[in-house]
Amino acid sequence: MDFKLDPADDAFRQEVRAFLQEHLPPDLARRGACGFHPIRADQRRWQRTLFDRGWGAPNWPVEYGGTGWSHLRQFIFDEECALAGAPATDNGGLRMFGPVIYAYAGDELKARLLPGILKGELYWGQGFSEPNAGSDLAALATRAVREGDEYVVNGHKIWTTGAHTCDIIGLLVKTNPEAKQRGISFLCVDPATPGITVRPIIDIGEAHSLNEVFFDNVRVPVSNLLGEENKGWTYAKAVLENERATSAEVPLNKRKLAQLRHIAGHERSDGRRVIDLPGFAPRLAQLEVDLRALEWLTLRALTEKSEGVSLPYGSLLKVRGSELVQRIGELTIEALEQYGSYLYAEPGENPDARPDWPSGPDYAPGVAADFMYRRAATIYGGANEVQRTIIARSFLGL
Amino acid sequence: MDFHLTDEQEMLRESARRFLEKECSLEQRLHAPVEGGFDAARWSRFADMGWLAASLPEDCGGLGGDIVEAALLMEEFGRTLVVDPFWGIGVLAAQTLLAADAEKARELLPLLCAGELRPALAHHELQSRGVIEHVTTQARPAGDGAWTLHGEKTLVMGGNVADRFIVSARTAGDSRDRDGITLFLIDANAPGLQRRDVRLIDNRWTAEITLDRVQVTAADLLGEVGQGWTALEYGHARGLIALCAEAVGVMERAMWITRDYLRTRKQFGVTLNTFQALQHRMAEMLIELELSRSMVYRAMAYLARPLAARQAALSVTKARVGQSGRFVCAHGIQLHGGIGVTEEYSIGHYFKRMTVFENELGSAQFHLEQLALCECAEPVAARP
Repeated sequence: MDFKLDPADDAFRQEVRAFLQEHLPPDLARRGACGFHPIRADQRRWQRTLFDRGWGAPNWPVEYGGTGWSHLRQFIFDEECALAGAPATDNGGLRMFGPVIYAYAGDELKARLLPGILKGELYWGQGFSEPNAGSDLAALATRAVREGDEYVVNGHKIWTTGAHTCDIIGLLVKTNPEAKQRGISFLCVDPATPGITVRPIIDIGEAHSLNEVFFDNVRVPVSNLLGEENKGWTYAKAVLENERATSAEVPLNKRKLAQLRHIAGHERSDGRRVIDLPGFAPRLAQLEVDLRALEWLTLRALTEKSEGVSLPYGSLLKVRGSELVQRIGELTIEALEQYGSYLYAEPGENPDARPDWPSGPDYAPGVAADFMYRRAATIYGGANEVQRTIIARSFLGL
Repeated sequence: MDFHLTDEQEMLRESARRFLEKECSLEQRLHAPVEGGFDAARWSRFADMGWLAASLPEDCGGLGGDIVEAALLMEEFGRTLVVDPFWGIGVLAAQTLLAADAEKARELLPLLCAGELRPALAHHELQSRGVIEHVTTQARPAGDGAWTLHGEKTLVMGGNVADRFIVSARTAGDSRDRDGITLFLIDANAPGLQRRDVRLIDNRWTAEITLDRVQVTAADLLGEVGQGWTALEYGHARGLIALCAEAVGVMERAMWITRDYLRTRKQFGVTLNTFQALQHRMAEMLIELELSRSMVYRAMAYLARPLAARQAALSVTKARVGQSGRFVCAHGIQLHGGIGVTEEYSIGHYFKRMTVFENELGSAQFHLEQLALCECAEPVAARP
């Protein structure tokens, strides 16, 4: 056992920090540090900056333009970016679809899709869930029927994040309705294709990131099939496996806890700092305790050798990570008091457009909106109840 | 960073597990007399197997390991709910002695490793409640470098079978000052020293000690006068990690015992493991267990950090492990139903051990409050 961080990894952290200091524009950092969904233009700008530095894809192998970093270095990179307020990069392209493309797609599709992801020019929408296929994703019913060198797609996707601003949709479709998992395929679809209708879903934070997407006889070239027909489920599972160690979202939780400390040190009650009010600091300390536990469980997952029976790390981390982001949000809202009940104009929105948009300290905008949105944290990526069932069945043998 | 055991550590763990399951199982002990929680022959075996030497340096008769070896052994002891005073003597007293006085450590620790000397740490007092510097026992100068000790000590782990006591006493300052605490090594039969043995609810044994004008000389001093706190902190830090590692062993075994029970016990015509409410509870138990295990690793990683960072890391760990341990063992009982509250059955004993754990070296609440004080003392956090 050796619990020391390799000095080379420590030097790497300093390198990332210095890069962020120099290259992360203050306006991006300001918007990134508040809780609103990142603006696509910010994301594109930041991704291009990372690409120019050679850091466009921290989790990809070098041969496809990635960095080839160890899991630990990716973790350090993510953490530094989050703490600096860098906008979130494209999870769909970089973490979900990119790895499937370079692992399973043919050369033509690789050449067509990977460079755009690296440069921030090809943003992905995730066409997985359906009204009747949420936690039970394999029950999806969107059909793709092959006609010549095209698939004709009909169906209805929901919870598609960013469908209104994305460049391509990664779509799970049924190509064999007789089979369940084995009848699923992966298609890459241009959202401008005739027959696609995007309908916004406004979340309880009154923000628009989610959508419903309707497919009405949408024609998709067979060349946009990812890998082999009917093997989409295997690919989807491979992606989720890669995701296991980051599912606690420790970098995000660290940023939010730092924000809570900042707020609790500034908001006051009759002159006393909120952090000094009776009972407040122990609750803050409890969140710190739980964050540290998650961080070190994540480090174990990252350094695990793939031999023997492995813990279901992804599920363990998902459950507690999503609970933690909600609990940090609860205490932050409480620390803000009246400002915690206000909804603010999002960056880019015209504050004059609505007279009811309030003023407040610079740390207040976005907190309430994000708090509302994060009720979904325990639902998305496989509801926590599903994760508990996975843990009980797969590892505990119940 | 590597969380995998070396081959030697793996061997140590395997041999400990085999021995303890064969010789120290709970089932054997439940029907055996619990007199003193001590078996001299078994203690010799601990010494022969190198357990008492495992985490001590070679110039003190040890095998050159560190806290990892102690943690490994303690985790195994936790699994089996061993009552022998390994923690009190082999970790807490040994590590405190090691830090207190290099010369005496080289003289005495080889005897401890060989199982021939059993010192216990007589430090905790009635109102300590987790605060290391709480010492009211008085040491007054008696001329020619001699001292007279007066006071009471409680929760002296392994004190019932100790032949020496490392006693902390105040030579200067007030009850909660770090400066002015002095350590003495006293013979268990010293005139004026009275001992009452107490069995704890988890069947381990401890002692309460009264010091009534106990005479000691300069030769009985450990380290410098008034400088004992540093050694106490050193011993407590390692003791805390070892204790938390034991708790991880307790939790893990309690979880699997419960799992096995759910797979065999039938109600409503089916085995209990088919009920989702119970499956989900068990999933929570696994999460808590693995978070706690991660925290023990983290505490070990922070052991070499400067004092403030080390203490914060130890508090984070003790708080988390205490909370998780209570959850896992309490629900272990709950999922068993009525059989879980019987003395005859194992699961309740795991709960008892975790209950004692909470009262050792500061409760979860105590450590949370320590962390809270640090939060308030920090300068206002910068905006992330």
